[in-house]
Amino acid sequence: MASSLLASTSKRALARRSPAFAKPFLAARPATTQSQSDALYVPGGPIYKGTVNDPTTFPEPSRAHGSHHWSFERLLSASLIPLTGAAFATSPSVHPVLDGLLGVSLVVHSHIGFDSMVVDYLHPRKWPVIGRIATWGLRTATIGVLIGVYQFNTNDIGLTELIAKVWSA
Amino acid sequence: MSLLPRLPCFARQFSSSAARFLATPVDKKPVLNKEFKIYRWNPDEPAKKPTLQSYTIDLNQTGPMILDALIKIKNEVDPTLTFRRSCREGICGSCAMNIDGQNTLACLCRIDRKEGKDTKIYPLPHMYVVKDLVPDLTLFYKQYKSIKPYLQNPEPPADGKEFLQSPEDRKKLDGMYECILCACCSTSCPSYWWNQDEYLGPATLMQAYRWIADSRDSHTAERKEVLQNEMSLYRCHTIFNCSRTCPKGLNPALAIAKIKMELAAD
Amino acid sequence: MLSTRAVGLGSPLRKTLFSPSLARNQSLIRTSFAKRTVQTESLPPSASVDILNKQRLLRPSSPHFTIYQPQLTWIASIANRGTGAALSALLYGFSLAYLVAPGTFDSVHVVEFVAGLPDAAKYAGKALLAAPFAFHSLNGIRHLSWDLGKFMTIKGVYQTGYAVLAGTAVSTVVLMFL
Repeated sequence: MASSLLASTSKRALARRSPAFAKPFLAARPATTQSQSDALYVPGGPIYKGTVNDPTTFPEPSRAHGSHHWSFERLLSASLIPLTGAAFATSPSVHPVLDGLLGVSLVVHSHIGFDSMVVDYLHPRKWPVIGRIATWGLRTATIGVLIGVYQFNTNDIGLTELIAKVWSA
Repeated sequence: MSLLPRLPCFARQFSSSAARFLATPVDKKPVLNKEFKIYRWNPDEPAKKPTLQSYTIDLNQTGPMILDALIKIKNEVDPTLTFRRSCREGICGSCAMNIDGQNTLACLCRIDRKEGKDTKIYPLPHMYVVKDLVPDLTLFYKQYKSIKPYLQNPEPPADGKEFLQSPEDRKKLDGMYECILCACCSTSCPSYWWNQDEYLGPATLMQAYRWIADSRDSHTAERKEVLQNEMSLYRCHTIFNCSRTCPKGLNPALAIAKIKMELAAD
Repeated sequence: MLSTRAVGLGSPLRKTLFSPSLARNQSLIRTSFAKRTVQTESLPPSASVDILNKQRLLRPSSPHFTIYQPQLTWIASIANRGTGAALSALLYGFSLAYLVAPGTFDSVHVVEFVAGLPDAAKYAGKALLAAPFAFHSLNGIRHLSWDLGKFMTIKGVYQTGYAVLAGTAVSTVVLMFL
């Protein structure tokens, strides 16, 4: 038990055993030190790009992935508070638009939450296969869910009404 | 001895303790043993898994701080125990480690004298270990360098001598310039654990804001622009482990929140 | 290919040869010549990176959440994510199920199924849904106020944290009996 607690996370342990490191170490190498440690670089691994004196680099700036994404997420979360209150205070059969808006907002809010989990735990740069499956699987699921919510809200009684009925069942 | 009373009074100050003037020796303090469980990994035997090694020392023969205990163990019990330390007063940041589950400076952390309670000491969490309690901080320093932690202002100062700053503008730097870069906060942050190769972490982000907030710096826009991506800044989910653990009582989470608000207002 | 050279010889040898008093010291001469066997390999400066990287690959990663003290800060944060994920998974699961089999998962069948459950299961189910919803909603408000710069001190974090926990307990009970 103690040794399992002390062991490194599997991904980092894996990074150390990746095939790039398998070849003998003092084999012929390019002349510059920078390129050779770049070649050995594995995201999250113990070898870093460049020398100890080189600063880390930044990705291409993109507001869509930066402040705009952040602001949108906060505005959406904040609008869920009055939306949830209003949906349950009024009858969904009278205000189907409100019910639909709540449904879409909840799905987008969920999608952003799941997506930030994928970025945190299964980022494709570290998990090239599982990470991409997770990213695209999530996008596909979200589209399916949006269609499902639309169908349920148009052909059936709608999410708010369903919760209200289940709660009093 | 008989000469003593005739000596000028300042002579007394040379003796280190009052006990020297007593006819009988002071009672020896009782033994108060305490167990320290310390993370060990030896790079000379890399195949051996890291282990917790136990050391028991008498607290009444030890200084009050964890660092005193570590130095006593290294001096008297096991000279192979390896850790960083320098100033022993919380200004160099060398002795940052995880003590009883919290990141702090060993020199500022009092030993818990409760009887029967052991203390576990680990290196800073989720870092590659050089040896025992010494983590590899290379990436941390490379990230600090990436935010250009120096004044950038190509315009010469108005008076030709120095950049002036109003007391109000200077006050904005309080709570940030005091950071000693011990890496306690960054290595307490779960987001930094999972994504430290891309996410800058609380210590570096607070220093990024220290230069964004500096009225004398003219590269504010560039400093903000590099943070506009998914990873560098926005992996912060306001968990607050950073401010909770800072041994200097600083608030990196607040600095990061201010960056986010400023970026959103741009 | 690699050039080799002997070290540890230059300075002591010169001293031995040019200082008459030392020249008579046989033991020192012996030591100097014994050092002739010590040889080093000359490496280009770039080899230091190789040696360092080789060592880096051996390093273990220090333990993290298993040894970190459970604190309201990060426990509340992971609970916020966990409750959100659980509720979202329910929304996703139901919507996809309705999309695939609208005849089985329509409101009539769902309500019928829930109505057929024993009372204990109903209350347990309500608690299981109400608690994560209450926590995620209240903690969400806490997060939004942080994003506006409010309660951004350790004191504020703990006060709001305990308020959210108390609020969750009360709201869960209220929602259960609604």
